[in-house]
Amino acid sequence: MIELTTTRHNPLIDPSLHVWEWQIPVYLFLGGLVAGLMIIAGIRLIVLRPSRREALVCCTIGPLLGLAALSLGMFALFLDLAHKLHVWRLYTTFEPTSPMSWGSWILLLVYPALLANALAHLPEAIPALARRFPVLVAISDFILARLRLVLAIGFANVALGVALGIYTGILLGALGARPLWNSALLGPLFLFSGLSAAAALLHGILVLSAPDEERPAFADFLLSSLARVSGARPLDPNAGPVLAGADNSFLTIELALLGLFLLGHLTSTAVHRQAAGLLLTGPYAAPFWVFVVGLGILIPLLLQTLELTHRIRHTLAPAVLVLFGGIALRVILVAAGQESHWFHALN
Amino acid sequence: MNAPFFKYGLFGDETSLILAFVIGIAFGFFLERAGFGSGRKLAAQFYFTDLSVLKVMFTAIITAMTGVYLLARIGFLDLSLVYLVPTFVVPQIVGGLLLGVGFVIGGYCPGTSCVSAATGRIDGMVYLAGMLAGLFGFAEVYPSLETFLHSTSLGQITLPALFHVSYGLLVFAVVLMALAAFAAAEWAEKKTAGKLPDPNGSLTALPWRLTPVRRLAFGLAALGLAAALAGSPYRGARVTVDTRDLALRASHDATSLAPATLADWIIQGRNDFALVDVRSETDFASYHIPTAQNLPLASLNADFAPRNQTIILCSDDGTQAAQAWFLLQAQGFRSVYLLSGGLRAWRDQVLFPKPSAEAPAAAFEKQAQVAKYFGGAPQTTGASAAPAPALPKLAPPVLAAGPAGATQPPPKKKKEGC
Repeated sequence: MIELTTTRHNPLIDPSLHVWEWQIPVYLFLGGLVAGLMIIAGIRLIVLRPSRREALVCCTIGPLLGLAALSLGMFALFLDLAHKLHVWRLYTTFEPTSPMSWGSWILLLVYPALLANALAHLPEAIPALARRFPVLVAISDFILARLRLVLAIGFANVALGVALGIYTGILLGALGARPLWNSALLGPLFLFSGLSAAAALLHGILVLSAPDEERPAFADFLLSSLARVSGARPLDPNAGPVLAGADNSFLTIELALLGLFLLGHLTSTAVHRQAAGLLLTGPYAAPFWVFVVGLGILIPLLLQTLELTHRIRHTLAPAVLVLFGGIALRVILVAAGQESHWFHALN
Repeated sequence: MNAPFFKYGLFGDETSLILAFVIGIAFGFFLERAGFGSGRKLAAQFYFTDLSVLKVMFTAIITAMTGVYLLARIGFLDLSLVYLVPTFVVPQIVGGLLLGVGFVIGGYCPGTSCVSAATGRIDGMVYLAGMLAGLFGFAEVYPSLETFLHSTSLGQITLPALFHVSYGLLVFAVVLMALAAFAAAEWAEKKTAGKLPDPNGSLTALPWRLTPVRRLAFGLAALGLAAALAGSPYRGARVTVDTRDLALRASHDATSLAPATLADWIIQGRNDFALVDVRSETDFASYHIPTAQNLPLASLNADFAPRNQTIILCSDDGTQAAQAWFLLQAQGFRSVYLLSGGLRAWRDQVLFPKPSAEAPAAAFEKQAQVAKYFGGAPQTTGASAAPAPALPKLAPPVLAAGPAGATQPPPKKKKEGC
């Protein structure tokens, strides 16, 4: 029963609070993952000598997966648009103050950078494909013959990866109307969450491909038939510990950034404190602490530490948990953020 | 601070979910480390070749038992608030046999199957899928099983109450039983599997040295003996009261609830409070507010509701309710309210409201609706508005003629379990 009628009861005066559904968190997660894959691939390209780079999971499979993930994410973003035919208008202008504008241009540049990174070592990684399309060998030879071009591709991947990762966070952080998102720390937080997801994904692929007697028969069958079709070389399992170690650092930084993010809110205005309360004591507290912090960060951190100290074997579990935690972080932040507001009266 | 923390309202549902996660992960971790993620090891106990499960589980039982006893004895834990699963003799025997059959066939019990599935064992995943399918199937046929499942009920009983022995004596007996079972388990393992016990991890193996395991066994036996001599762990009727704190709370205005508000709550069907009528049983039978439960002042004990439950007390004029308010506050209940004016005010304001000069007609219209809902009648304006006829109208049990909501069951207890 409404005891008091005000103008606010007219339709659409108060904004409807939940307008973003599953598409946005999925896009944010995939965007962060691609950013992480680009940075890792770019760094491998810059740091490693060509002979050590060959057939590395990071430099070929990473960028190829990145292209697929980015296309999926862009499709999810496209589904969210109200006026789908107006997409092209984003590319008729550049607004330096608009995160949307930055994002659309960054996304446009990410594709060629990722593709160039993947093409550099594609013939060595998947010989069957190179035999079918000789032009791939020519492209790869062209790139690898020019050291400066290789470095340029590497730096472009790192720079665009950082930009993409930070932009996905700023996209939310720039929206002052939602106090929970209104923090610049979301940029680095999403960047490091994306980096940890990318390292975990590549680590998971290495674990799956490593020779292992205890691997379930069906996985062995799938992998061996895949290898026969592609004629791919076995992946280098030495990168496993490096990736697990890197993932641990990323997860630790992500945890610290999450702490700072909440601290920043708790020391801010009552509105921001109330917004942080959604994650600390409110309806999102249990999923946040269980799925994001517990299963998504702390347990994979523990498992990978045990792996690195040779207490347990390298398994798929941390990879699955980190990827799942990355999705959970975006889903919960997007949902809770849309519930945070400036109206105390509405509570 | 007092335990159990949740019952004393130290934290809410959200925090308890997070704690459940932490406890669950720790439980799974230790089960895995004990080797209980392997179906072979678990099934071995049925062939007496490896009785680790018996040892671990019995150790857990006596550790928890002595721990709970000691904490309750020193006054940290209120044992009367610890949830007990009600006993249904025949259904629980049938259920136990079904669980045992499933355990032997599949090699897992519910908890260990989760551990096994989480560590990547395919048989564990199959077992888990089967368990979920069974849960859904059970839920589907539940209505037809309900009468059987609720048969042969004994309520929430404990062994000390059943056998009329002291609580501590039972603790001691169970500890001795566990130690005997450990010794028997070692003997059985030696007989069936030819396993020679590790001299450091064994209770019975020679030579007779005071190994850490034996020290622990003696320690537990000593704790059990102490429990047998130390008296009841229940708090009983004695409490300590901070009179100044109690006086402050009593002087606070926010301890009472207006009859009209209570009427609204009942109409809305809210079940987040318990309405307690502290009058005698005969008074209660002649009339009571719908949804109320009867707890006469003389038999008021602290076990009828959790400490963080909102409780509304009512009596004829409020005196008895106020006495009950002090008793409940002293026993640690924190959100206890009085029905202001008692049942007399309820009768005047809710059942038989009179229009007043100041209040608008619409407000009285609402009051009249509420009065009809509860089986009363609004007193319309007129010169003959004598209050006398209002009283006899109350005498016939209004409940029988009352609205559908009058026989609502008491608020549902929160679901709890192991």
